[in-house]
Amino acid sequence: MNPSTPPAEPRTPSLYLPVECEIVAVSDLTPNEKLFRLRLPGGAVLGHLPGQFVQVSLLGWEEAPISVASSPGRGAFFELGVRRAGRLTDAMHRLKSGERVGIRGPYGRPFDLARMAGQELLLISGGCGLAPMRSLIQYCEEHPEEFGRVTMLHGARSPAEMLFRDELDAWEASARFACSRTVDRVTDGERYNGGVGLVTALIPPLELDPARTVAVIVGPPVMYRAVIAELRKKGLGPERIVVSLERQMRCGVGKCGHCTIEHLYCCQDGPVFWLDEIEHMRGAL
Amino acid sequence: MKRTLTVCPYCGVGCTFYLVSDAGRLVGVEPSVTNPVNRGGLCVKGWNAFAFVHHPDRLTTPLIRQNGELRPASWDEALGTVVGRLRSIQERHGADAIMFASSAKATNEENYLLMKLARGVFATNNIDHCARLCHSSTVVGLAEAFGSGAMTNSISCVDRADVILVIGSNSTEQHPLIGSRILTAARSGARLIVADNRRIRLARHADLHLRHKNGSDVALLNGMMHVIIAEGLADRAFIEGRTEGYPALAESVAGWTAERAAAVTGLAPAEIIAAARLFAGGERGMIVYSMGITQHSHGVDNVRCCASLAMLTGNLGRPGTGVNPLRGQNNVQGGCDMGALPEFYSGYQKVTDQAQREKFARSWGVASLPESPGLPLTRAMDAAAEGRLAGMFIMGENPMLSDPDQAHARRALESLEFLVVQEIFLSETAALADVVLPGACYAEKEGTFTNTERRVQRVRKAVAPPGEARPDWEIICALAERAGYAGMRYPDPEAVMAEIASLTPIYGGIAYDRLDPHGVQWPCPEPGHPGTPILHLERFTRGLGRFTPADYRPPAEPPDAEFPLVLTTGRTYFHWHTGTMTRRTHLLDREERRAFVEINPADAARLDIRDRDEVLVSSRRGEVRAQARITEMVVSGVVFMPFHFAEGAANALTNNVLDDESSIPEFKVCAVRVRRAP
Amino acid sequence: MKSIPPDNLPDFFNSLSATFEVRLPIELPDGTRTLGNPGDGPIALHGGALPGKPTAAFFPQQGPVFTVAGGFVAEAPSPPRPLFVAGFTPRDLDCLRFIDRFFAEGWHDDIYFSRRRGALVAGVSGRCGPGGALLPPAGGDCDLEMVWDGCRWLIVPYSEAGLAITSELPDSAPSNALDQIRQASEALPDEEGTLIRRASRLLRADRVPDSFWAEIGERCIACTACNLACPTCTCFGVQDWRYAERVERSRMWDSCQLDGFMREASGHNPLGTEALRTRRRIHHKLAADPERWGEISCFRCGRCDAVCPTGIGIFAVAREMVDRFGSGG
Repeated sequence: MNPSTPPAEPRTPSLYLPVECEIVAVSDLTPNEKLFRLRLPGGAVLGHLPGQFVQVSLLGWEEAPISVASSPGRGAFFELGVRRAGRLTDAMHRLKSGERVGIRGPYGRPFDLARMAGQELLLISGGCGLAPMRSLIQYCEEHPEEFGRVTMLHGARSPAEMLFRDELDAWEASARFACSRTVDRVTDGERYNGGVGLVTALIPPLELDPARTVAVIVGPPVMYRAVIAELRKKGLGPERIVVSLERQMRCGVGKCGHCTIEHLYCCQDGPVFWLDEIEHMRGAL
Repeated sequence: MKRTLTVCPYCGVGCTFYLVSDAGRLVGVEPSVTNPVNRGGLCVKGWNAFAFVHHPDRLTTPLIRQNGELRPASWDEALGTVVGRLRSIQERHGADAIMFASSAKATNEENYLLMKLARGVFATNNIDHCARLCHSSTVVGLAEAFGSGAMTNSISCVDRADVILVIGSNSTEQHPLIGSRILTAARSGARLIVADNRRIRLARHADLHLRHKNGSDVALLNGMMHVIIAEGLADRAFIEGRTEGYPALAESVAGWTAERAAAVTGLAPAEIIAAARLFAGGERGMIVYSMGITQHSHGVDNVRCCASLAMLTGNLGRPGTGVNPLRGQNNVQGGCDMGALPEFYSGYQKVTDQAQREKFARSWGVASLPESPGLPLTRAMDAAAEGRLAGMFIMGENPMLSDPDQAHARRALESLEFLVVQEIFLSETAALADVVLPGACYAEKEGTFTNTERRVQRVRKAVAPPGEARPDWEIICALAERAGYAGMRYPDPEAVMAEIASLTPIYGGIAYDRLDPHGVQWPCPEPGHPGTPILHLERFTRGLGRFTPADYRPPAEPPDAEFPLVLTTGRTYFHWHTGTMTRRTHLLDREERRAFVEINPADAARLDIRDRDEVLVSSRRGEVRAQARITEMVVSGVVFMPFHFAEGAANALTNNVLDDESSIPEFKVCAVRVRRAP
Repeated sequence: MKSIPPDNLPDFFNSLSATFEVRLPIELPDGTRTLGNPGDGPIALHGGALPGKPTAAFFPQQGPVFTVAGGFVAEAPSPPRPLFVAGFTPRDLDCLRFIDRFFAEGWHDDIYFSRRRGALVAGVSGRCGPGGALLPPAGGDCDLEMVWDGCRWLIVPYSEAGLAITSELPDSAPSNALDQIRQASEALPDEEGTLIRRASRLLRADRVPDSFWAEIGERCIACTACNLACPTCTCFGVQDWRYAERVERSRMWDSCQLDGFMREASGHNPLGTEALRTRRRIHHKLAADPERWGEISCFRCGRCDAVCPTGIGIFAVAREMVDRFGSGG
């Protein structure tokens, strides 16, 4: 385990006090998802690693954990992909460039880049799971030497609900990635030139070297079991599968108790797990 | 750190707890360990009962409507406006052109004072409260049978019963500290019969779960009584010694064979026979009921049958027995006791009785009091909608969400020339008012509540009301003063109780210094009387218990081809009524945040609705949006919706048809259709 | 041996009030015992565990996280003086030790420690349990121990601060008074400890089927009292209140017995059934915490059994578990 490291000394100000960040840009990803580009006061660096999250705080709407959607290498800003799903995210969607949000973090265990180094990567995302995955994809772009071949599979419910379409186009065009996308359904008249069907259907045709591949899954809860079953058929063991789990953390620092999986705290021991750490635990997947 | 012993503001069980406050702010709740009612326990609402009190939405100043908008006003202006406008209406349209709605959330003292204000100062018997919507059929039915409309026994009697019939009560959710006793009793060997077609928690612990059709309770109970008589299981000695009217009952149920009852209820004859034998076989049989019995167009008949079944089996006047209506609100028993009813003064003394009128007039120092009974709340809403009522004073009630047929309720309130709402939050009803008066909540005032087992308990002030908000009793007294009446000057609620005791025989011995620590159960006719845990011990309040037969009448609006499903309405465990308090309580709000409708999987499959789909539920009166909850909790053909949610108001759908005798609406049955939202 | 006769207890606590914010067991008007201020009711050190958890002195049911007004942030205030909290039974002290560790390790919970830091804790033991029952010794997990020997409170300081505040007390008790109590308490049975350890073994060996939890769950009315009464339950929720001129963020005790506890905005709920929630409540104390913290986090205070309206506190459930599935080897 490689949890996020708390400071040795109690810190001042309070652990629970957010830092105000400026929204420097907002863009629509889909009708329900926006991308926020944030800057810390004084242009300070967030200091996160791919896979970590921050607690976003809006006064009056409490806090919610949101994964960082950009890699650390993008300079003095970071990005959050925010799906409108509850009261806080509704309120956040009303914010405009120049307004402020509170941030605590980064928190949580990032992707285990050391153990993934030198491996071929199979990155499988569903729906808004592409936002956290993007921090890893960007990292791969920035550090081509660290990994072997990178294959990306992404599934969305419909073309309109697909995030980062331009970037998917660019990744598809890049020699760096093998990239496939699929949607559950296409409405008549919708412009779309990818596949149709579940993301799991993209796995069987792949040629994988199970001894050299690490698969990373980020998506809605229903996706994990089905994808894992397909990966297992390809000979991938749980020690070669990485999952990032969504939980409703209230604190992000292992105190509030809302994100436990048996004895693990998703905010501390996760949200990124090797599958063999949690697959036997009830309620994990 | 301060602790203040008080009574929970939610249901009628009357659990007591200490409010924990620190520097004028509530920070928690600690249950009373010694109170025999809750014995150290609370339900989730009780544990969170402190959490809405300082909410930012609290009303902190009077509001007056000006150019269509509510604006802050001084107390002086607000009180002057209220009295001036009500008087003006009365001068033009007569004393009975205004209506007072009292509150089952307010204290006994406040209910008494509003009753006094209506009758003594504004000279109208048009006063009622939400008991009209929950247990008015109980008051009528049990008064007729026993001479008293209250729960006959005590909560602790649950522990003594050897068979319990729970009919139309989801006790573990709506009266949790009674429901948990029933559950515990069932696990400790008492036999449990649950008659309710929802698969409620108690049903999962029952010996018999009868899922009879909505509104078929009379048929079920008549069928059970038929079997009991036919099989010689009736308590002949009790019938002969303690009751009258038995031959008429016997004749009436003679035709209700198990087969006929089964045909009406949708049960198997064997289920009815088994229930009859099980209930009659008990040494101490207890009947527990609630809104599932009362909220029907034949609610009084349902109550009559419960009373008859108990008398038939001799289950009255002993520990562990009785007919036990669980009263809904924290102080709905008290609201009734205090005469916030159109036909009674406090203690069920009739306004039509000249001697009573004279007694109250003398005490209040007024020349005369109005003679004819006033309007029940539900009839008053009809009158308002038809332009026969011009002014309404509503204290702590939210008819926009709680009354049947929301469009009708809105029409009624909007037709009024003048509406006053005294509230703690700007409810949907207060938002329509011409004047809004900010009240103190339960944690901010002194007084008493009377729980479902007639236990009068002290409510105490733990913190100050926000801003300029004032306790209801102070506001009422200030209104009386404004109206030129000098007979409502009290130093405190204790003095009000002294007046109540002097005028109300069943409260004759109630005084604050007697209520520590855990209250007194009325009747308590004189100082020193120990109170009455069990009614009708040797004789009924009316002398002999009276059997009144009831014949089955179907609900007013059965399902048909156009509206093929039965809608039954109710509440969830986590919210209280129209949600003004619980939807502002973080943990309770988180549990149930939106309107939902329970649909049986078979119906859902037929309607192509999946769990959590957005659906539209429509009746002849309206259409609302809700989230589908696909569950075996409801039987096929029936859907259930709670009425808490303004944005998916179940009462936009319900049928404003009233029971003739009690004027209670038929909340429990109307016809709807459900489809997936486009 | 230092001691305090019962009549002198009020003076002793009053003398501390100049330096400390004193909380001690008192009896409320209806006979309920609680942690209160001196003078707010008769001192009630006798009777065993208080019905409410004494750790609430450091982690109240609801308390501020911060307040923002006019662009300025006010953090949760510390008490004006350090707390002195008396009335922890030996088992309560185990609970306190556990949550001290929980709040300190990893990220340091400064809000908890704003009340806990500098606080003095007095344990109670000896013959002051329910009906005069003997409580086991508290040992060194407190600043001072107050041991009732039947006629006086023997005072055993452990920490420097505990020594300091008791230095003026007279050596008025026989030197062997404490030893007699200690010897008697060594013979105390620990049936609950055996039971809880057995239940823990069963759970860790995964020998309790899901159907068992479904059955227990059917009996739960979700009142949340088990969590709210438990001194080692530390879960909290967070709430913002927006007033005209300020926003208050506070946190309050939460409960894993609520469906919304882990429900996500998407509707996905890892604790979405009664059975899973009931299991979590027991499993967390008896299996998950031993895995993470190296010890069972039920210290047998008995509060959840006392407060549960339907009889499914941890002892009752453990007993049923052991009866049905064996002792766990």
